[in-house]
Amino acid sequence: MTRAQRRRPAPARSAFSWRDTLLSYAFLAPALILLTLFTFYPLAYGSYLGFTEYGGARFGQGLPPKWIGLDNFRTLFADPLFLTSLGNSVKYLIVVPVLQLASLAVAVLVNKNLPAMPFFRAAYYVPVVTSISLAAVMWEWVYNKDGTLNWVLGALHLLPGGAVGWLNSEYTAFWAVMLVTFWRGFGYYMVLYLAGLQGIPEELEEAAVLDGASAWQRFWKITVPMMKPTILLCSLLSTIAALRVLEEVLVLTNGGPLNSTYTALMYVYSKAFQGFNFDYGLASAAGLVVAVVALALSVANFRLFRDSSGEGT
Amino acid sequence: MKHALRLLTLGLAFSAASGHLSTAAAQQPVEIQFWTWYLSPKFDPYIKTTIAAFEKANPTIKVKWFDKQATMVQDFIASVNMGGAPDVVNLNIDETAKAAQNGFLRAVDGLTPAATLKTTFYPQTLRNFTIGGKVYGYPWYGSLNEGVLLYNPDLLKKAGVAAPRNMTEMLNMVKAVKDKTGAYAWVPALKDPGGASFLGYFFSDGLPIYDAGGKAAFNSPAHIALLQRYVDLFKGGYLPEDALRKEAFQLATELYAQNKVAMIVGGPQALNRIKDSNPSLYAKTVVTTAPLGRANVQTGTSMGMVIPTASKHPAEAAKLAAFFTNNANQIAFAKIVPIVPTTAAAQNDPYFKKVSADPIAKATSLVGASGRFINPGFKVPGNSDDLYKNFSDNIEAAMLGKKTAAQALNDTVSYWNANMSK
Repeated sequence: MTRAQRRRPAPARSAFSWRDTLLSYAFLAPALILLTLFTFYPLAYGSYLGFTEYGGARFGQGLPPKWIGLDNFRTLFADPLFLTSLGNSVKYLIVVPVLQLASLAVAVLVNKNLPAMPFFRAAYYVPVVTSISLAAVMWEWVYNKDGTLNWVLGALHLLPGGAVGWLNSEYTAFWAVMLVTFWRGFGYYMVLYLAGLQGIPEELEEAAVLDGASAWQRFWKITVPMMKPTILLCSLLSTIAALRVLEEVLVLTNGGPLNSTYTALMYVYSKAFQGFNFDYGLASAAGLVVAVVALALSVANFRLFRDSSGEGT
Repeated sequence: MKHALRLLTLGLAFSAASGHLSTAAAQQPVEIQFWTWYLSPKFDPYIKTTIAAFEKANPTIKVKWFDKQATMVQDFIASVNMGGAPDVVNLNIDETAKAAQNGFLRAVDGLTPAATLKTTFYPQTLRNFTIGGKVYGYPWYGSLNEGVLLYNPDLLKKAGVAAPRNMTEMLNMVKAVKDKTGAYAWVPALKDPGGASFLGYFFSDGLPIYDAGGKAAFNSPAHIALLQRYVDLFKGGYLPEDALRKEAFQLATELYAQNKVAMIVGGPQALNRIKDSNPSLYAKTVVTTAPLGRANVQTGTSMGMVIPTASKHPAEAAKLAAFFTNNANQIAFAKIVPIVPTTAAAQNDPYFKKVSADPIAKATSLVGASGRFINPGFKVPGNSDDLYKNFSDNIEAAMLGKKTAAQALNDTVSYWNANMSK
């Protein structure tokens, strides 16, 4: 390419590009302003607070945050309650693969053009739009010592030791709360997977059938690879949601028994909103630790599910 | 001369005008913000009527009322930050102590003469709002934890026991009631999310919470023996498992309405719920005096009205707080809902001497004049949220057999003494 050739299209492209760029930013501006105000600024300020002493006493006396470096992090890692809560949150990630596999499998099933499928799609989505307080009352009925779960298991002779208070035992409460998270998230991810499944060309499936591939082979060799971008998205979302689980715990167990369901976000919440004894510095530091864990897991998710063709991610 | 006269005239005119302006400013009503907690919409008429009466008596003060609910404390903190602090705020004893310890509140004994406060309120209700020697709140409506004993006569008859006259009798009959009826005798307050209610049982038995130097001291052999008594009952299945997860009052009313608990020790407010959920049980519920611990004292709590340091009109705010918490207005409130007034004059009010067969009316009469007993039983410690959480965790560990009663109390006392002043 000669120098003239390289120069010729430049002015036209530049003029067009400027207008285009400005227009793009104009369209982006409302969202960017809102994001800056309500996401980026709080994020930056919250991160800053994690390195400061800023709680009830300073606030009450009208004093500004005081920079204390890594002291909050030292306090956190010396606090057995924080370590327990962080451990519980990491353990809560067990729900992610189970939830993803189940919702993908059910999405494949309800994607068939069979009678009553619209009903099932809607039914699975109901828990997503059910308020947590209502869900808590319902799950209390299920988990109570004289509740539905014990009744069913008793009828099947599966309770040799007698009825169990599922939310009152340190061995079962964690899993009982996790099941509620599964129940609440299942329909949401199923809908996302359904949308992903609609994007797989039918010809591929048909060709595989002609080649004699079984349903199992088609699922693993066609559906899963084609769904990688959606799996990545769902996996990311549910990993972050599992790390941030709070509502179910608050309404069902309040972190007990023996802190077996006390999660990291509950720690953050309790430090930030414990009346006039609030400690924004420590709460922000704990939030930062959770954010770092979430970031690390997000990177892991990207590595695991990145579409090898480079599309869609 | 002419010039001097002109100046004099102008000066006189200006001073007359400014005098007129300052009179107008003095007549301009001062607007104060008043925040209540969880009282709207049920008590709107009472609050509005009382505000109207206050404004009539104080034409220079205008009251802007807001009712705050779950976000009360966060809203309070945010409003202080934004420079629009409320002038009168309704807080409970715990939150008042925390707010005062952190410098959010103005001492009210600097706004209302100490002598007036002392003659208006029972000494203990005033002590409940005294932090570091200063009074930070005007005591408002209260409740007693023991209050009255409500019981299902059929279940007690089936168990073959009479209503307990004290806590020793209550603890002694727990097994008999459960074994013979299948229902729990009662639901003790073992653990609660934002407090340390089990400390109240120590206080009721005359056991100290702090030593003379203000250090936590609830780990003597007598404290341990009392906790052990409850641990044994819990492990034996004689107390509901849910008592470790749910607030005792809520659980007790739920189970009582289902005939799964024979007795409730508490305020008359429990009867309101039973009246709605099980009217036939309500009709046969017997109300009598509450069984008390060895010290023969009640425990209880109350609301108060506080004046934030950031209030721009503390004098006017103090007037409103004093008005709302005076005897006449507390008695008027007690006629709407069975609260326990914190004013000393309430104990002689004829309203609480009425005789009635209706359970709620009877319970109200029994507790209404007992405001002198309103006492949580212990002073709110510094760093209370962390300390209460540690206490609750240790009580739970003892109940679930993870620690002995002695270990649980020793651990708590060590934690409290190491973290109380943080």
